[in-house]
Amino acid sequence: MKKKYALFTGCMMSTEQYSYELSVRESLPVLEIELVDLEGFSCCGEPMKSVNQLLMLYLSARNLAIAEKNALPIFAPCAMCHLALSECKHILENNKELKDRINGMLSAEDLNYTGSVDIVHTVDLLHDIVGLEEIKKHVKKPLTGLKFATHYGCHLIRPSEIGRPVNSENPLKMEEILRILGAEPVNYYPEKLDCCGGILQINLPESALTKTGQKLKAIQEYGFNGLVDVCPWCHRMYDAKQVKAGETVATKLEVPVFYLTQLLGLAFGIEKEKLGLDLNLSPVDKIVLKEASG
Amino acid sequence: MSIIDLTSMGEPQSQLRKEINDRLSKLKDEISDYCFQCAKCTSGCEAHKLLELEPHKMVALLKRGLIDEMVNSDIIWTCMSCFKCRERCPQKVAPVEILFALKNLAVASGKQIPGKYTAFLQSILSIGAIQDVQEITTKDNKTKKRSDLGLPNASKPKDLAKFQASLMKIAVEKV
Repeated sequence: MKKKYALFTGCMMSTEQYSYELSVRESLPVLEIELVDLEGFSCCGEPMKSVNQLLMLYLSARNLAIAEKNALPIFAPCAMCHLALSECKHILENNKELKDRINGMLSAEDLNYTGSVDIVHTVDLLHDIVGLEEIKKHVKKPLTGLKFATHYGCHLIRPSEIGRPVNSENPLKMEEILRILGAEPVNYYPEKLDCCGGILQINLPESALTKTGQKLKAIQEYGFNGLVDVCPWCHRMYDAKQVKAGETVATKLEVPVFYLTQLLGLAFGIEKEKLGLDLNLSPVDKIVLKEASG
Repeated sequence: MSIIDLTSMGEPQSQLRKEINDRLSKLKDEISDYCFQCAKCTSGCEAHKLLELEPHKMVALLKRGLIDEMVNSDIIWTCMSCFKCRERCPQKVAPVEILFALKNLAVASGKQIPGKYTAFLQSILSIGAIQDVQEITTKDNKTKKRSDLGLPNASKPKDLAKFQASLMKIAVEKV
């Protein structure tokens, strides 16, 4: 049976990380996931947590209230959005006073937050809800022989106290999905849980690029065929800013970086362009060619 | 209303500041007493090696009430919010949340907000997102818009005036 979700694109994916949005919209319907576009969403608020935490809570509650009004669970492919929405739900569950104050303000836009909406991310949607067996049925072009490193993104794996879709110290759901697609991901490498530096790009861009460069350099030295991520902030650092990041660690970086949904689409036999692979700025062609000929 | 009002750079907001101070006092009373300075937070801190942030020292400073000193320091803006400190603390102390409160207090006290935070805030206020929809360049240097790629218009607040009015309340009415 088809499962319906309100697609919460968030800022980063809907304003520049189009390859994630394209590959999400192409590959998930294959798995009987129907994505619904709702009007009225705004920023999740997470990037504003440093400026005004209440603003973040208000924005997240507002977005959840819109999904609630349409009686749909939310699918947030961005790890930052997923954390903001989940944290908002967690905080308001335990703070009725704050919930009432936020609802007082939401009424101006004819919205009301009760906290009834489920929030999913790409990884738990694929791994827990669709399931590995179902994914396996649709694989037409297995990604045979490709050794991938994974990057989950800090906001997706921590803090586990408020409930995250994957294990905080040893996340393996992406590896399991990649294995079903025919690839040979490596469960552990020392830098696996390191941060991409994305948030620091806002105020200390040089340091942010150094974080990005250090992790990519390690991945390149280990000889992985590529890096797989599931967050538009992380992907922006590893893919779009890879050349600049290489300068900070004095290394010519040539690591193909993919969204998990792009690899999913490739394995399902969807054309490269439809998955936005021409928008990845890292050398993804290295792999695509290999995949096509193999 | 302008960005100045929202971030209170013009006139420090005493009520908002009081609320954040209360948040910090609560953190101080409820959390910092549990910290025994094992520095597990600092050993895993993403900003430690690169920018010398030491979360366990931030907890110690909070315990001693040196809030103004921290608010006035650039070090609070080096946190990458990776949440490792909160995840790994054996005593359930969350230095990252202390840092968020300190940064909020710095903003409410009229300190200059570093980097692109002001631009993001301004953009959220005017269009609901941290930045406007971009034209992007493909690997072979072609420019593409959302519509060129067959993507629908990005979702945004229907009634911007009402949306903005509510955001302003967060500053003016001090939610």
